[in-house]
Amino acid sequence: MDFDIIFGNAARAAFGPEAVILALAAIGLNVHFGFTGLLNCGQVGFLLLGAYGTSVSVATFGWSLWAGVLIGLFLSLALAAALGIPTLRLNPLLFAIATIAAAEIIRILIGSTDAIGLTGGPLSVSFDAGAFYDLNPYPDGPQDRYGVGTFEFTGQQLWVITVGWALVALISLAIFLLVRSPWGRVLKSIREDEDAARSLGKNVFSYKMQALLIGGGIGGLGGVIDAIKTSGADPNGFRPQVTFFAFAALLLGGAATYLGPVLGAVLFWFLREWIESFLRQLASESWLPAAAADFLDGAEGIISVAMVGLALVLLMLFRPQGLTGNQTELHLDAR
Amino acid sequence: MPDELTPNPDSPRPVATPPANPAPPSDGTDIEPILTVPPVPGAPKPNPILVVDNLARSFGGLRAVDVDHLEVERGVVTALIGPNGAGKTTLFNLLSGFDRADSGRWSFDGRAVTAPAPDQLARQGMIRTFQLTKSLAKLTVIDNVLLGAPGQAGERLWTAPFRWRWRDQEHENTGRAEELLERFNLAHMRDELAGTLSGGQRKLLEVARALMANPVLIMLDEPMAGVNPALGQSLMRHITLLAHEGMSVVFIEHAMDVVTGISDWVVVLSQGRIIAEGPPWKIIHDDEVIDAYLGRRRAGEAR
Ligand SMILES: Nc1ncnc2c1ncn2[C@@H]1O[C@H](COP(=O)(O)OP(=O)(O)OP(=O)(O)O)[C@@H](O)[C@H]1O
Ligand SMILES: [Mg+2]
Repeated sequence: MDFDIIFGNAARAAFGPEAVILALAAIGLNVHFGFTGLLNCGQVGFLLLGAYGTSVSVATFGWSLWAGVLIGLFLSLALAAALGIPTLRLNPLLFAIATIAAAEIIRILIGSTDAIGLTGGPLSVSFDAGAFYDLNPYPDGPQDRYGVGTFEFTGQQLWVITVGWALVALISLAIFLLVRSPWGRVLKSIREDEDAARSLGKNVFSYKMQALLIGGGIGGLGGVIDAIKTSGADPNGFRPQVTFFAFAALLLGGAATYLGPVLGAVLFWFLREWIESFLRQLASESWLPAAAADFLDGAEGIISVAMVGLALVLLMLFRPQGLTGNQTELHLDAR
Repeated sequence: MPDELTPNPDSPRPVATPPANPAPPSDGTDIEPILTVPPVPGAPKPNPILVVDNLARSFGGLRAVDVDHLEVERGVVTALIGPNGAGKTTLFNLLSGFDRADSGRWSFDGRAVTAPAPDQLARQGMIRTFQLTKSLAKLTVIDNVLLGAPGQAGERLWTAPFRWRWRDQEHENTGRAEELLERFNLAHMRDELAGTLSGGQRKLLEVARALMANPVLIMLDEPMAGVNPALGQSLMRHITLLAHEGMSVVFIEHAMDVVTGISDWVVVLSQGRIIAEGPPWKIIHDDEVIDAYLGRRRAGEAR
């Protein structure tokens, strides 16, 4: 059992591109759910359109990467509009159902064999993200490594996460500036009681729409980074659980806080990867009975997700406001 | 007829009227023209802020509101009374756009209300509070009140991130909000979450928030329920003062001493219909009102 390797794997996951993507998904969800109270169960749909918008533009239509990025963002905003305009005036549960259904329908359409010519269908799509890596300032020879001990990245990886975390920081700052303003006060009032907001002259639909667009666009950006990181997109990467991972990260870190979603995403990937690496090493220990090793083999990923779920349950029991949330806010609901 | 116009000298005077003036109306002060109005249901008013025609709303077989004609005078305090389930709250909901009428029309501040939307009516100056208080639990008390301020530049997405664009206005609003909190005995709770307030304090907070919106017409649904009498009186005195400055007030209230104490005009609703209206000192002697609402003993007390 080599805990150095386990820790290195966990740390790389916690600060790697996957955590960036999850952080962006969770920040968007925080705007929807944390600040505005919109129960968006299909955040993955925004990531999907961000990723496929970028990939298909470059791979199928041969446009430049930057045009693809814009199209990816545009498509995720279009999804927000298409979802919000018909459903935001109606029952909030209807909105929740519409989001999860829309995300899943889009994934199935994009991954169907009929779509092979456009999106690659079930075969996934790949493209050349060279335009992005051309800007990489880090020397990226086969021997170049950045980091300490087992916690290290290649030059290319470092470039992706530099850009990724810079975007996370910028967007978090923008959200902070927005939400601490009177605009943010209106969002929170809608979360608390939308009729009260209406009775004071606030156009609730318009604010919900703004929140949906902003949060969806941030999710879309997560998808764009996913596409650049993998130089492509695969329908299987956008299953509904991605949304629930984003919820897990948000709740871990603390909903309706500024740093909660970022902290939660880092923690989520750290825990998940730590447990998975640990189990993988455990499975190869010689003292382990063969039956147990057999059981573990190949199931490490699933078990680690289950353990993160368990951690979330424990957190909800003992610190339900999340790591950064406010304790007093929680005890108000019973009154 | 002139007799009709003279207030009963024994009747309680509005708390905050200018120096007692026993002479009949027409001395030019704001509240007096209402006294020229005959005390009959649906009576036209000299300067109405709200005019309602044939407004009806049924729930299943129950006709909750069925108002043929109602005018609410501008710049005075009108009380809306009636038994439980009379349709008072439903009437508020209809007028403020929170519920859809089956039929009927109304106009507010001279404009016909064609497609009633609550937020739009509120921006035009019709601000209502709720019988079941809607405090925004996870916002601080001061933020609750600040939310009421109209025309905030910082509430627009494009200005919001740039603090210097809204800082001065926010500062001004905060000053006004703090004055209101002071007046409603909530200043010490300024930075607490509204969810930590007591029931009565929430009522006060909601009224303060409504006043923050600078209403043209404020509609208060039992604003004094659960508020201690001394504070309730001072609150209502404040509202009467605002009425003298031109704000119109409609409030629903069950305590008759409050109604007679501060209202200039009383409208009585029973089973959705207006059964009487008039100045308070007349209403409490109205046989129909006594039968439907006050009861014999209660009427005696209120006098
Ligand atoms: N949403 C609703 N669905 C069904 N019936 C309703 C609804 N709202 C009100 N009602 C009915 O309409 C009638 C009038 O109710 P309303 O709340 O307007 O009474 P109120 O005069 O405000 O009474 P109170 O003094 O007790 O507050 C009641 O009989 C009530 O049961
Ligand atoms: Mg009522």
